[in-house]
Amino acid sequence: MENYEYILETEHVSKYFGELEVLKDINLKVKKGEVICIIGPSGAGKSTYLRSLNQLEKITSGKIFIKGDLFLHREKGKTVERIDKAKQKQLLLEMGMCFQRFNLFPHKTVLDNVMLAPITVKKEQPKVIREEALELLRQVGLEEKANEYPNRLSGGQQQRVAIARALAMKPEIMLFDEPTSALDPELVGDVLQVMKGLAQSGMTMLCVTHEMGFAKEVADRVIFMADGIIAEEGVPDKIFNNPENERTKSFLKSILNA
Amino acid sequence: MKKFLIGLVSGALCLGLMAGCGAKEEKSTADSTEAATEAAIDISNVKLMNDGVLTVGSEIGYPPFEDFAEDGTTPEGFDIDIATEVARRLGLKVNFVNTAWDGIFAGIDTNYDCVCSAVTITPERQETMIFSSPYINNYQAIVLPAGSDLDIKDFNDLDGKTIAVQKETTSDILMSDYKSTGTIKVEIVANEKVTSCFTQLTNGEVDAVVVDSTVADGYIGKNPDDYKIVYEDTSEAEQFALAMGKNNTALQAAINEALAGMEADGFIKSTYDFWFGGSAE
Amino acid sequence: MKILKKVVNVKGWQKATKRNIVILVLVIIAAAVLSVMKPEKEAMLSCTSEEVQNMIAQDENSSRKRVTITYNSLVVINYCSVSSSGAREISERFIGFFGKTYPANEGAAKVIGQMVNYTYRMLGCGENVMHGAKLTILLTALTILIGVVLGIFLALGKISKKKLLSKLCSGYIFFFRGTPLLIQLFVIYFSVPSMLGFAWRDLFSAGDNQAVYKGAFVAALIAFALNSGAYCAEIVRAAIQSIDKGQYEASKALGMSYGQTMSKVIIPQSIRRMIPPVCNEFIMVLKDASLVFAISLMDITTISKNIMTSEGSYLVFIPALIIYLVITACFTYVFDKIEKKFSVYE
Repeated sequence: MENYEYILETEHVSKYFGELEVLKDINLKVKKGEVICIIGPSGAGKSTYLRSLNQLEKITSGKIFIKGDLFLHREKGKTVERIDKAKQKQLLLEMGMCFQRFNLFPHKTVLDNVMLAPITVKKEQPKVIREEALELLRQVGLEEKANEYPNRLSGGQQQRVAIARALAMKPEIMLFDEPTSALDPELVGDVLQVMKGLAQSGMTMLCVTHEMGFAKEVADRVIFMADGIIAEEGVPDKIFNNPENERTKSFLKSILNA
Repeated sequence: MKKFLIGLVSGALCLGLMAGCGAKEEKSTADSTEAATEAAIDISNVKLMNDGVLTVGSEIGYPPFEDFAEDGTTPEGFDIDIATEVARRLGLKVNFVNTAWDGIFAGIDTNYDCVCSAVTITPERQETMIFSSPYINNYQAIVLPAGSDLDIKDFNDLDGKTIAVQKETTSDILMSDYKSTGTIKVEIVANEKVTSCFTQLTNGEVDAVVVDSTVADGYIGKNPDDYKIVYEDTSEAEQFALAMGKNNTALQAAINEALAGMEADGFIKSTYDFWFGGSAE
Repeated sequence: MKILKKVVNVKGWQKATKRNIVILVLVIIAAAVLSVMKPEKEAMLSCTSEEVQNMIAQDENSSRKRVTITYNSLVVINYCSVSSSGAREISERFIGFFGKTYPANEGAAKVIGQMVNYTYRMLGCGENVMHGAKLTILLTALTILIGVVLGIFLALGKISKKKLLSKLCSGYIFFFRGTPLLIQLFVIYFSVPSMLGFAWRDLFSAGDNQAVYKGAFVAALIAFALNSGAYCAEIVRAAIQSIDKGQYEASKALGMSYGQTMSKVIIPQSIRRMIPPVCNEFIMVLKDASLVFAISLMDITTISKNIMTSEGSYLVFIPALIIYLVITACFTYVFDKIEKKFSVYE
């Protein structure tokens, strides 16, 4: 049995880009199996927050806990405390990520995209991982595309491959950074379907998204971010039907009217 | 004001230049009067391009035969000394015309009276021009590092060795001949510059250098502890001489007389020793 | 066997490829037949005049031989000449083709004979291992190969976050791009051994009479590779930096280290972008190969210049051009293949 209450926890996380403060004192606690959707206007810091969780961005100050361990503690741009390298690497592998622009490896086939990280990072046997990779591709409905190169695939298919690629590392948390924003509207459905399935299987998920329908249906909790702060959070029903914050109200209004 | 300054500066420059030229002129005149008093050779029937001046064509840039001194304008070298001394003994001033090697002979009688530029006497050249008596003999020589214990007494001993030559020189042609006819088996390493041959010898890349004896003398004169000449092929000598126009036999006779005198009183030997450090043959 | 089948994928061949292969095989068979039909050296020598025969006989017992016998066998045709050195120069030339010997002292036969002779010499046949086309090809190919590998490491060093390493690599690139190759060649061949007290020739066995050329080749290769590495480093750096940032992020998000990201993701993608500039670099090296004459090696250009000055024949440049074009065509073909291999995904 795990000895932690929250699988992911941030305390007082802030982030500056030069003089600009894009994240202001973000506190968030995520339980295992929780699905959280982060919504909000562009420039609110949603993506930056997500990216700072798995170290694509360095936070300026604050604490990040993963599985109860203090993963990183920084103050004013300097690292105060962090766990040892080996543990750090291992904890980072607990987080998989999907990008807005998929970022598949164009020089590798779909199957090789999925297999690359387990082979190079986890030193798995290609024979073993091959079966797992094919199973993952089956889950995202792209088994027959295993030997195609990514540029032969539609955007939606590429994003599903990207999800499979992230899942191949067997993460406990999945981060989605606007996974459907770069897709043609008719391709969004397939990707969301895969994500729904993932949520139902008990995966802990943080999704930055503009798909309000998805958030309503799947999320356990919705977080509304604006100007670098968490303006409002709560269950979907509350956020979408009874928002308290004025910013949330006007944001939802503009989205729904669009 | 600016214009005035420019005028002042350029005026000063002109004055300086004139003063410089004047001084030079004076000096040459003094030389020639001195020469004239010593002149014993009859040059009354010699036709020169300019009266009282022996104009000599030379490709100045082939040390130690002819090269410019550090100032970049004063010619110096073995040939320069020889030609200057010949002119002095004829009671003439000397004037060197720097010219490219290609077409150097075409300038005889139009640009200069004679050529003194390490010119070898060859049968082909003798068809179009005449030569003075040779003032230096050049042989093909084998040079080894001073400490070498190779037993090499002539070209045949180079069998199985690796030698360096300067590309397209007599040495190159001769050794290639030895190789192509199968007389000896020798690896010939050809270089653009003769200095590269000697560096290769020092570094141990080659066993020996085959080169003109004059060049060898020059190198050994400068580095007596580094190299030694083990063989000079006196059977096939190249003779260096002054070249002049076919009809200028009077000049040829006068120059030959001067050269004979220089040979007799040891001028050529001492000049050779000065420039090459070795001993003239 | 599997690999062989994969390489010689007969079923996958296009119709045109099949036709070309048939033509190639026919040409090879014809060449083989013709080369067997060529007259031998002795047969050609027997065609010489009595005077020349006497000269050859005389030479047999002489310690200073005077007759040069040249015999060039070039696939389907061969050339033989006998010439004496000295003031009374005699030379007789012949070409052999399809079982017959033809005199080649004048006219078209002379031109053909010269062409065969020049081509033979420029290809470096019958000469030491580091001569002519052999030298040019070997030097260029190895230089590019080592240069690209070295360039990759230098480029990675230069874009590295480690300040000292980055400075060192930048300095290296600055130095080798900022100084002429000829001087680098001189330093490596002449200065380095005299400072450290060794000879390049000593790298090879003392009994090897070609050691001097091999030694010079090693020095030339080192100089060329070091120089080319600096140029390739800039090519590689530009290619690496043109790769989308998302590729780094995706790799990092998957837990890959910097080294793994570079070797598995970034460099494989940048190779395709490197090929065209590396092809240019190859052409540069091909031309620069003539610099090795400064250290006593003869490449195609030097040999053709030599022939031109010694024989006064400008014909020599025709075979020289053809040889260069063939070399360039072969290398371009290889580069195209590599580029295709690395761009299947586009």
